[in-house]
Amino acid sequence: MTVAAVRTEKLSKRYGPLCALDDLDLSVAAGEVFGFLGPNGAGKSTTIRLLLGLAGPTSGRAWIFDTDAADVAAAHRLLAYVPADVALWPRMTGAEILELLGRVGPGIDTAYRGELVERFALDLAKPAGTYSTGNRQKVALVAAFATRAPLLVLDEPTSGLDPLMEREFRRAVAEARDNGQTVFLSSHQLAEVEAVCDRVAILRAGRLVDVASVAQLRRLHRTEVSATFTGTPPDLTATPGVDGLEADGPAALRFTLDGSPAAALRALADADVASVAVREPSLEEIFLAYYGEPPR
Amino acid sequence: MTAVILPGTGRVLTGLAARQVRWGALVVTAVAAGMSALVVTTYRTDAIDPAALAANPAIRTLFGEPVALDDPGGFTVWRTGTVLAVLIGVWAMLAATRITRGEEDAGRWGALLAGRMTLARTVGQHLTVLAAAPVLTGAAVAGAMIAAGAGAMGAFLHGAGLAVAGCFFVAVGGLAAQLFPSRAAANGAATAVLLIGLLARMVGDGVAALSWLRWLSPFGLLALTRPYDTNRGLPVAVLTVAGALMFAAAVRLAARRDVGGAILAPSTSRPPRLALLGSVPAFAVRRTLRPLAGWSLGVGAYFLLIGLVASSMIGFLSDNPQFARLAAQAGFPELGTVEGYTATLFALLAVPAGAFVAVRLASVAADEADRRLTLLLAAPLTRTRLLAAEAGAAAGGAVVLITIAGLATWAGTAGVGARLAAGAALAGAYNVLPIVLLCLGTAILALGWAPRAVAAVGVLPAAGGFLWQVTAVSVGAPAWVVGLSPFAHLAAVPTVAPDWPASAVMTAVAAGCAALGAIGYHRRDLRT
Repeated sequence: MTVAAVRTEKLSKRYGPLCALDDLDLSVAAGEVFGFLGPNGAGKSTTIRLLLGLAGPTSGRAWIFDTDAADVAAAHRLLAYVPADVALWPRMTGAEILELLGRVGPGIDTAYRGELVERFALDLAKPAGTYSTGNRQKVALVAAFATRAPLLVLDEPTSGLDPLMEREFRRAVAEARDNGQTVFLSSHQLAEVEAVCDRVAILRAGRLVDVASVAQLRRLHRTEVSATFTGTPPDLTATPGVDGLEADGPAALRFTLDGSPAAALRALADADVASVAVREPSLEEIFLAYYGEPPR
Repeated sequence: MTAVILPGTGRVLTGLAARQVRWGALVVTAVAAGMSALVVTTYRTDAIDPAALAANPAIRTLFGEPVALDDPGGFTVWRTGTVLAVLIGVWAMLAATRITRGEEDAGRWGALLAGRMTLARTVGQHLTVLAAAPVLTGAAVAGAMIAAGAGAMGAFLHGAGLAVAGCFFVAVGGLAAQLFPSRAAANGAATAVLLIGLLARMVGDGVAALSWLRWLSPFGLLALTRPYDTNRGLPVAVLTVAGALMFAAAVRLAARRDVGGAILAPSTSRPPRLALLGSVPAFAVRRTLRPLAGWSLGVGAYFLLIGLVASSMIGFLSDNPQFARLAAQAGFPELGTVEGYTATLFALLAVPAGAFVAVRLASVAADEADRRLTLLLAAPLTRTRLLAAEAGAAAGGAVVLITIAGLATWAGTAGVGARLAAGAALAGAYNVLPIVLLCLGTAILALGWAPRAVAAVGVLPAAGGFLWQVTAVSVGAPAWVVGLSPFAHLAAVPTVAPDWPASAVMTAVAAGCAALGAIGYHRRDLRT
């Protein structure tokens, strides 16, 4: 069995009476792109702070490739990190900061760093004090990807990026995946998570709600089906898995599907079906369903 | 609607600014009023010859022009005036840059300024609230002196002078915060103004032909008011106008720049300077160099001046034994030889050198709070190593600072032919190292357990210990009370050999504090 890139065991963090993280058990396989979702205050950043040893757990443990996360000198040889809110020394230029982080960090692929600087259109000659939020984020992203570290921990890395840069980010994540690197991505950008992640963990109020692949999450949720018929629509009220059946005019039906679609499809095939549209829920709808808000 | 909302937002700003400065303001006020009252009540009409004192340029240079020493109030103004003006000025200026540029740098003004508030109004209101602090301090000093039995007119003028000087430095800090893109740079510029003001006062007092220089210095203007003597109001008025102009300039410049920007912001590109970026210790040294250059310049200039006035001072003291006795009572014994004179003044060196290490460690705490350390601490690097690098750079910087002070003193004495050996000068300077180490140790202790208070706790052994000793000796406190100050355990090197056991004890206490602090820093959560 291969070693998990990130593993936590009953990881908990309390701030006085507030329980920021409650008994988190998580395992991220090496080489996967792992999405970490949850509303503000769910405990995402707390988890990342614990994984990086920036804060200590109240109880429980965490490992980075079987190295105790508390042993930062060893664990951080295996990872690179992009914080949610990047702060840099204002008088140092981008080039100087990249040099520092490259020399102090776990290693650097200088050629790749040069390429990333080009792709992210980063002006390295300016002092960091003049950078916008997005530019500061780009400096941290370039520094992290250029390490080629086995694990990349990215906390809301694209919140300040424009769509072009967002595309470059997705490309860089794909390259990291092809390279065998593991990516731990905390994000609010559900489209981005959907586009790049193999598996997703959903966190709510400090507890893990679910961990599944994006496809599995979809399967766990209802698929919306609408069908039109040349003749009379069939009676699907007794068909297993069909729910929320509605007539959409005299020759059209709309229903949601839970579990296997086989029985419903068989019933549709037996009727004079003219068209079928199956719409899978977006991650956003799944996400909102977890937090008790009705999907739009 | 606007008319309804604006007073509300003004109150919010006032509350925000007041919350950030109230404790510091109370401490400064308590120290200033307490010291003034203490010196008034313990004043004894010893045989002092004011004319002889006033005639000596060295006395005037170091302690200010002696005026009305036969009056408890006048003696108090002479004895404490400059120290208090510097204390109030330094605090006011650092608080001004902290609550304006510091808050803005940390990104905490973004949300504030997204509303109705303009940058100019926010800066103006913060500085106005802060200016209330020195006014309070000045009033408390005047009240304390009157309550202790000093004359009302002089006390009022002295208190007004201190208040206006404090307000002036609020405006200096506020102006520097508009001009420079970071809090560190603004502090550096404002400190330079303060030091130049102090040196201008010293030179103006010491050299008759340059006495007009005092009109250009806030400290010189305070001296020119001559409380308990001629009680002149004009210098206070001049300082008030200067402060008001600075304040207006700060608000005008705030209106002309962007949030997060600065009037002198280096927005231009420049080639990278890659030296000292290869390791964490190298990076710590890199960040220490620029502040060290500024501190070295100030401390070097001061000790050069000390050296230059050595002969004149020693000659005066051997001619006026009653003043030598008085100086001994005030904690300046053996001023009659060049070695004794320099030994006494080298003790002062512990204050800037200790403040230097405390401020360096406080900048580590600030880097942490402003999240700049996060990227470094995500590298394969323990916090203990980071702390060791920063503490090492600070200690190394302090040694450089002390060496420069020793060499500057030697150069000054050599310039006037006062025959002080370079080795003796350096030995006297290095003698303060245990106190500097105490400052470093307590600063590390604070970084581990109370990271908000690093600067305050770090300067305590030096600045607090110095004030403690001066006050305790002035009021004739019992030996054990005096002994609480590390300065009581400092031998008068180069007159006598260093007190090795005392130095060893201080170093051991410093090491213990540092070890405790390192444990706390290793274990605690980062503040972000």
